[in-house]
Amino acid sequence: MAYISLTAVHKTYPNGYCALKNINLDIQAGQFIAVLGPSGAGKSTLLRAMNALDPATQGEITIDGVTLNKKNYRKIRAHVGMVFQQFNLVDRLNVMTNVLVGRLAEHSWLSSLFYLFPKTDYQIAEAALREVDLLDKAWSRADKLSGGQQQRVGIARALAQQPKLILADEPIASLDPKSSEEVLKLLRKICSEKGITVIVNLHQVEYAKQFADRIIALNAGSLVFDGSPEQLTKAKQAEIYGTTYEETSHDAELVLAYT
Amino acid sequence: MSIKTLPSRPHNLFPLWLSLALALLWLIIWDLDVAFQDLVYGIADMGEYLSRYGAPNLSNMSSYLHLMIQTLVTAFWGTTLAFIMAATIAPYAARQLTPNPFIYRIARELLNFMRAMPDLLLALIFVSSMGLGPLPGVLALAVHTAGFLGKFFAENMERVPAGKYEALSAVGAGFTQKIVFAAWPSMLRESVGNVLYIFDRNVRMAAVLGLVGAGGIGLELHDALRLFKYNQASALIIIILLTIIVIDNLSSWIRKVLN
Amino acid sequence: MMLSWYWPTPNGKPPLIAVLSVLVPLAVLLLTASTVDMSYNKIFYAIPRMLDFTKNLWVMPDWHYVPQLAKKMLETVEMTLLATALAILLSMPLGVLAAKNASPHPIIFRITRDLLSFIRALPELVWALVFVSALGLGPLPGIMALSLVTVGFMGKFIAESIEVVDAKAIEGLESTGCTKFQSILYAMLPQAVPDFIGSLLYILDHNLRAASILGLVGAGGIGYDMVMSMRLFNYERIGMIALSIYALVTLLDRLSDVFRQKALGGILNVH
Ligand SMILES: Nc1ncnc2c1ncn2[C@@H]1O[C@H](COP(=O)(O)OP(=O)(O)O)[C@@H](O)[C@H]1O
Ligand SMILES: [Mg+2]
Repeated sequence: MAYISLTAVHKTYPNGYCALKNINLDIQAGQFIAVLGPSGAGKSTLLRAMNALDPATQGEITIDGVTLNKKNYRKIRAHVGMVFQQFNLVDRLNVMTNVLVGRLAEHSWLSSLFYLFPKTDYQIAEAALREVDLLDKAWSRADKLSGGQQQRVGIARALAQQPKLILADEPIASLDPKSSEEVLKLLRKICSEKGITVIVNLHQVEYAKQFADRIIALNAGSLVFDGSPEQLTKAKQAEIYGTTYEETSHDAELVLAYT
Repeated sequence: MSIKTLPSRPHNLFPLWLSLALALLWLIIWDLDVAFQDLVYGIADMGEYLSRYGAPNLSNMSSYLHLMIQTLVTAFWGTTLAFIMAATIAPYAARQLTPNPFIYRIARELLNFMRAMPDLLLALIFVSSMGLGPLPGVLALAVHTAGFLGKFFAENMERVPAGKYEALSAVGAGFTQKIVFAAWPSMLRESVGNVLYIFDRNVRMAAVLGLVGAGGIGLELHDALRLFKYNQASALIIIILLTIIVIDNLSSWIRKVLN
Repeated sequence: MMLSWYWPTPNGKPPLIAVLSVLVPLAVLLLTASTVDMSYNKIFYAIPRMLDFTKNLWVMPDWHYVPQLAKKMLETVEMTLLATALAILLSMPLGVLAAKNASPHPIIFRITRDLLSFIRALPELVWALVFVSALGLGPLPGIMALSLVTVGFMGKFIAESIEVVDAKAIEGLESTGCTKFQSILYAMLPQAVPDFIGSLLYILDHNLRAASILGLVGAGGIGYDMVMSMRLFNYERIGMIALSIYALVTLLDRLSDVFRQKALGGILNVH
């Protein structure tokens, strides 16, 4: 059985806009999946449905044999890491605390009240920071770090959750090219070495082809491509982005990357 | 330059500051001789005490209403006079507008001075020097809150983008012209908010000015409590409370309309 | 000549709203002038008396009064600090309950909001009157009155600063599966700290002034000495008391300005 399976998933926002239309998808454990599609295609909506930050309005999502419902959101989220485009760190807390936040789901309100964490949590956080190579910044305030470093803290927070799945919503869209590549390499390494399933929303087709095991593409809320990187030909790309073949020059890709 | 071990945790001074603060509070409690059991008994007694208030005695309603109107008028006059004084002084206390640094310092110090004395003490002084009645109350409110308003106005003027003043300087505008055509239009909205805030505050203060003989409803409340006329006191408190709540809602409505 | 001047509006006349916002307050002022004794006679009668009074203040200070003055000023400061500390303790939970994004339920949100605006509606001095009449003279009723009203203000300020915390940080926490309580503690409160310190400085400033007048109704602090000296025409003391209050308030004002700029790098902005 597949690690994640989505059956007939629909998402209608309260304003009536239908952002996901009948998505059916099976994902195997330990894969690196890139999700492509133009802005507004529903990529974020898809990821946010998987950890119920924006629950699907119809259909079924099963992760590791557990089907998402209103009661088990928090249980599911505890072992699903999420990495955001804007990092979503708590600026005024230090890096260590931001990573330890990944452990909160395991603790009662009482220990949380006093900002106390057990030693094992510190070991987990330290390992996570070592993984993202930020041990030296452990005690700096999060907002003192560069964008690329902040994103690595975001990844460390996800790692501290000891997840089997990491969802990354355009993790490199706010980063410069060098940091972008570092972050993607890091996610790829985590996937390969730890066997964690990684699903990444991307705008850059080239990166998707370079890093992913499998590529999925959405357009206007529907699944329009699902296959290996090799299967994603120039013609297919044009279809995904709704442009003609000639237009899909390298320039067009760059433009797409920064929209 | 990646490091493999966690740097040692920097000293966190927060616990030290917290214990110092607690020690200080303990010293204060010891020095003031307020035992916490007093506080607890006090609160327990309050229940019994409040039950004495009983039904408000509304037989003097018309005289109470008259006093409440006098209170409102005192606040209104006080605010208006404060506004006039503040608007006159503020440009001299705004860095971009002031004719020279010396005048700037003087204007700032003047505003500080007016703000520093609590209005009730000013009222006390004015009453002893010019006799009982609402007039000393009006003047006390005017002087004290002109200090506040002047500071707010000056800060608003300093927040206006420098380009606006430069544009006017470039066409050869003078001091007054810069105030009228650059400062006022740009700071209008915030300043209306400031004036409303000061008016709210002055209504509250005007309600207690009577305690020092400066008119308004406060003296009546003082006397009712001193003579143990709890029913009248509760009527007075209710009138004050209702008026303040109405004024509060009115001014937040105006604020909303303006935005 | 006069007629050749126009306002820069399409029809050359001032906008109605501008005319009204000048004329209406002016009319109210004129109509109510007699209610507050605003008349030439009154004012010109008051000015010489005012000058007389000021002349009286130019006397040698009463040096024997210094220890008593110091004691009362210290009491005023102590009341301010204790009342503010108590208020912080009480207003933290209330402020959280009164913040739209942190409150566990919309009904709890409404109730706490209304409770807070109720307790801050009446000025400290009215509460102090009530408490003095219940508990007798002394600093305790003053402290109670001061902390009560401060809870009303502080609770509101805390709620407002929690409401403007960036939703991204909160979302980051929620994505890890933590509870609402944990996201309040680890995202909302830390992010609200600068706002909170700004409000705290503002409130300390306000409370110091308030504490210095609570004595008027016998609720402790320097205010009592002020009224008594005034009643007894003890000009030697009046000037000293006024000066020390002025000095203290100014000192706190300067300290909090420095603190705002140095410690928080100008990111604060309250009122
Ligand atoms: N909270 C919301 N309410 C209504 N519509 C939304 C909301 N969030 C997203 N949408 C709409 O859903 C569509 C898909 O959005 P999103 O998943 O963010 O796209 P992507 O991440 O692919 O750029 C967009 O058209 C967007 O306008
Ligand atoms: Mg998106």
